[in-house]
Order: sequence, then structure tokens, then C-alpha cells
Amino acid sequence: MAKVELKNIEKTYEGDVRAVSAANVVIEDREFVVFVGPSGCGKSTTLRMIAGLEEITSGELWIDGELVNDIPPKDRNIAMVFQNYALYPHMTVYENMAFGLRIRKIANAEIDKRVQEAAKILSIQEYLHRKPRALSGGQRQRVAVGRAIVRNPKVFLFDEPLSNLDAKLRVQMRTEIAKLHNRLKATMIYVTHDQVEAMTMGDKIVVMKDGVIQQIGSPLLLYDHPCNHFVAGFIGSPPMNFLDGKLRRDGERLLAEGEGFSFVVADNHLEALLKAPHPEVVIGIRPEHMGIAAQDQIDNILSAHVTVIEELGAEAHMYMSRRADDMENLIARLEQRHGYRIGDNIRLSPDMERVRYFDAVSGEALLGVIGPIRMSSRRSALAQG
Amino acid sequence: MSADGYCEPKSTEISRFWRRLITNILYFGTIVVCVFFFLLPLLWMFLNALKTPLQIVELPPRIFNFTPTMENFENVFNSQNFLQYIYNSLIIAGGSSLLGLILGLPAAFSIAQYRQKKLAVFILISRMVPGITFLLPLFIMFRFFRMVDTYTSLILSHLLVGLPFIVWVMVPFFESIPKDLIDAARVDGCNIFSTFIRIILPISMPGVVTGGILSFIFSWNNFMFSIVLASNRTKTVPVAIFNFIAYAQIDWGGLMAAAVTITLPVLVITILTQKYVIRGLTAGAVKG
Repeated sequence: MAKVELKNIEKTYEGDVRAVSAANVVIEDREFVVFVGPSGCGKSTTLRMIAGLEEITSGELWIDGELVNDIPPKDRNIAMVFQNYALYPHMTVYENMAFGLRIRKIANAEIDKRVQEAAKILSIQEYLHRKPRALSGGQRQRVAVGRAIVRNPKVFLFDEPLSNLDAKLRVQMRTEIAKLHNRLKATMIYVTHDQVEAMTMGDKIVVMKDGVIQQIGSPLLLYDHPCNHFVAGFIGSPPMNFLDGKLRRDGERLLAEGEGFSFVVADNHLEALLKAPHPEVVIGIRPEHMGIAAQDQIDNILSAHVTVIEELGAEAHMYMSRRADDMENLIARLEQRHGYRIGDNIRLSPDMERVRYFDAVSGEALLGVIGPIRMSSRRSALAQG
Repeated sequence: MSADGYCEPKSTEISRFWRRLITNILYFGTIVVCVFFFLLPLLWMFLNALKTPLQIVELPPRIFNFTPTMENFENVFNSQNFLQYIYNSLIIAGGSSLLGLILGLPAAFSIAQYRQKKLAVFILISRMVPGITFLLPLFIMFRFFRMVDTYTSLILSHLLVGLPFIVWVMVPFFESIPKDLIDAARVDGCNIFSTFIRIILPISMPGVVTGGILSFIFSWNNFMFSIVLASNRTKTVPVAIFNFIAYAQIDWGGLMAAAVTITLPVLVITILTQKYVIRGLTAGAVKG
């Protein structure tokens, strides 16, 4: 069990291609940390640097109080689960799981004990003597996880382990890996491009984009207080709605106005928004905060027409557009049975107290961000203060 | 064509029958021509090996209507000491393919792993340059070291045929192995050598077998290097056939029997391993 620390970790490839820049992350002992971001954001590279499969260009990597920059993967006491399982095709399931222990010259009796134990946890005892090609995708992934468990490593690394599985199996394995974490109480680092996986599994999420860490925090922190436009749009499904607007003083009130709408900024946001560097802002509204306006409501109205309705039973996702060509996508999450139809005109009223505002130029959140955020936004916050 | 509903399907059925027949005739015809072309010399060799010298030169030739004799084969093994030549060939072909595998497999792996395309082209060139280019320098070199007519010199010279071939077969094979597998082995505790021995080689067995077998056959069949670098002690079978060509006469029966003797092992190996070999040769291309 171990604490993992990334201090100013950078990765530059030949030809000055920067894959990861100045990554600073502290992963506490027994924590489940998820690195998430769109493909090519450097999350897998970061994981591979932690594993030792990729050289660290600059910065320091500490595992359990030991500087491991120059230590080969085999001596880092980590185990890794790969996206395409990477099982050895010529070995049985048993031998696949035992291989790492055999290389380390562990006694046969001990190997057998550990393999049987891991097989029991993952309920793959029946397959122990099969070859990987005789297994289904889900079973193979279990074996890959089993191969990591038997090693009893300080840190588990998962590189998009569920993306080759079908949707149902993915949900099932997701909970199993979460259970495994509770059971083993090990430090786990998990990489995925799927924000739902990140939200559901992580104690802490690291959002990356273009090799730069955007924000680090608990799932709900990221959901409620995204530090910038990108994190706000990336975390959450269905995604946050964004409207371009402009701030304008109107006597005592502050208005956020845009094409076809004029919102009155809520009191709790007033102080922060008065300090905004530019009047141009992006207004972010979560689908569940897109309420339906009351008949007599005049302020804070957004008119649109319904383009698609997704009925999910317990709730409905209603897609709307303010434009005639339907190219805009506004989404509202309705919890009650609603009775709307495609083509209906609808008056929406966002919950102004929970709306987020972002600077239109830099994309930074204009309302104070709680918790650890990336350096650049902290600097600009200080500069403003 | 009448408007009768029954007439039309019947006629299409008939035309389909003819079309299929013609396709089949063309299909099998081509195969028969090809097989005839390739197998007739072999057949001729087998038949003549069983004839007396007189029957061989007889006109019109007897094709099947003769009494087979084993005299030629007795001659091959008794008076010509062919067992010794077969032994020589086995040592040289076996040795050179083994050495070729020992050197070629790691070479191919590093070319695939570290993307050494230039090196690969260099090896391909050495495969394409006619062997005779190397022959004279090799002969001078081996004579200088007093190594002419030794197994070592022949094994080394035959490497020129087998080694590039093995590398060339194995590079796409190794390239088709997912990188994650190598990474997994590294995380599991292997260094690059144990990864190669314990993971890469067992997975690549079809390729290794293919490379080994074909290199063995190339070496077994090799005539040019052997006739220059081998002498009485290390003479290989293709060269030994020349024993049947004397100054004044050619012993066709013995020649054919000797040819049969050296062809048979190759033929048997090929037939037994053809599935493996084809899989090995196409693996890199199909798996992707």
C-alpha cells in the first residue's frame, strides 16, 4: 500500500511533442484515483510513466516515499491491467496469473495459494486450466485483473480496462472493480475516457486535456464546481448546456443577456461576477437545472422548441433548439411525466442560483472554485484578488 | 422465350448448369496443366530410378510397362557411400538453420521492436544479391584460415541463404505481437531477454518452425556453396550426385536414384508441415 506523488512530471517526445506538462498529483494511500479526458490528452502516457513503461522527461515520481524515476517497472512493485487484456496466449489462465510470481521465484505452494485466492475473488476458478482464447471478453478481463491481484502490489494501474467490453458487462465490471478496491484497500490508479466511469468509481478525479491537468477533485466537486468551461462540459451526462452571454449592470441588478434571453444574476453570484475580467461570459446550466417556467413567470425565460425526447422511464431527456434549423442542442432533464411532444414550444427557466459562469476568453470559472485546481487558474484568481 | 411461367426457371437452370460445368472445366483444367508441368519431371525421376540403364535409354520409352529394379538404390548406398553424404548434409543444413535461428530470431525481434527499417532493408539486399557474389571472397577467406572442406565453413556459408530468410519471415511476425503483451511482461517482472524467451518465442512458434524448416530445405538443396567449399570429407548430397557423372558415361539410373533419395526427405517434410508453413508465411499479413 502506498502513496504516489507526481511532482512536475513532464513527457516530451522526439520533435518537441509535449504529451504531458507539469503534472502535479498526490495520490494518497488506498485512494482510487481516476485520470479522465478525451483521447490524446496524455492520461495513458501519465499512467505508463507511473508504471515505468514510458520514460519521464522531467519531474519526480515518488511511490511509497521512494524516488522511482530510474527504477524499471519490474522493481516498482506495481501491477497493471491493460485495455486489450494482454494475456499471454500460450499459457493457461492459471499460468497467466502465476507468471509474475514465477519470475520472482516465489515458492509453488505460495503461488498456488495466491492464484486460488484471486480466482475465488473473481469467480474464475472453473477457467483456470483454459487458454485465454477460450474465454469471453469479460472473463479475459477478470483474468487480467487476477494477474494483478496475485502480485499483491503497492499500486494497481488500470489502463482503460473496460473499453473493450459491451455496455452491460462494463457496468457490471465497474462495480466489481469498485468492490475489489474496498476489499483490497490498495492504491488504485485508473485511466478512462468515459466520464461516467470516472464519476462512479473515483474517490478523486484528475481531468486532463492536451497534456495539462485541468482540475483535481472528488466527483461531486468537479460536477458542482468545475474550474473551467472544458471540465464543465466534460463531466456530466447529459452534458451541461452552454449559452453565450454578456454581463450588463441594470441599476441594482446584474443581467446576463444573450440572443433571446435576459437572465437576472442571482444574489449569491453577484459579488464574484462584478469582478469578471470581461463582460463576455459563457453561461453553463446543468440539464437538471433547466426547469419549466411557470405560466406567470416573466424573468429568466428561455424559449425553445422540442426536437427530440428520450424517455428513460424514471426521467426524460428533452433536447431543444432555439434555432429553426435545430442545430442547437439544449438539454433538460425532466423527472416527472411531462406530456411534451416534438415540435412543442417550451418556456424554460434555469435555476439561477446553480448556474455556472465562465470567462468567454479564457474559459475559466468566474465563480470561486473550491478545492485543488490547476496552477494557472489559481494564479489568475490571485491576480484578480 | 414464351410467356409460360414454367419455361423460364427451367432454362435458367440449364444455363446455370452449363456455366458451372465450364467454370469447373477451366478451373480443374488449369490445375491439371500446372500440376502436370511441375510433377512430370518428378514422376520421370521416380520411374527412371527403378529402371535398368538399358530401359532408360530405350526408344520408344517404356512408361509403366517395365519390371522395377532396386539395383540403382543399392548402388547409391553401397558403392557410393551415400549415407556419409546424407550425414554431412544433415549436419550442415541442421547446423546452419539452428545457427540461423539463434542469430536471426533476436535480430528480427529487435528490428520489429525498435523499428530498424534500414537494417531490415540491408538484410533484404543481402538476400537478393546473387550468392555467387559472396562465393569467391568466402572461398579465399576460408582457404586463408585453412577451413575449406570443414563443416564450419559450410555452415557459415549456408547462413547467407538461411539467415536473411529467417529474419524476413520473423519481422512481420514479431511486429504483429501486441505491444501491450511486452509491456505486461515487463510489469510482471521480465527484462527484455526473458520477455523474448518466455513470451515472444512461444507465441511465435509457427513462424519459428516455418523459418527453420525452409532454411533447412534451402541449405539441403544448396549446390553452389557446397561444390566450392566442400570436398571429400564434407561433400553434401546435391554435390554427391555428380559422382554418377563420369568422364565417359553418365549412370542415369544411379543419378535418378540419388536424386530420389535426396528429394524424399524434403518432400516428406514439406507435406507434413505445409499447413504450419503456410500459416507461418501469412501470419504477419493476415493478423494485422
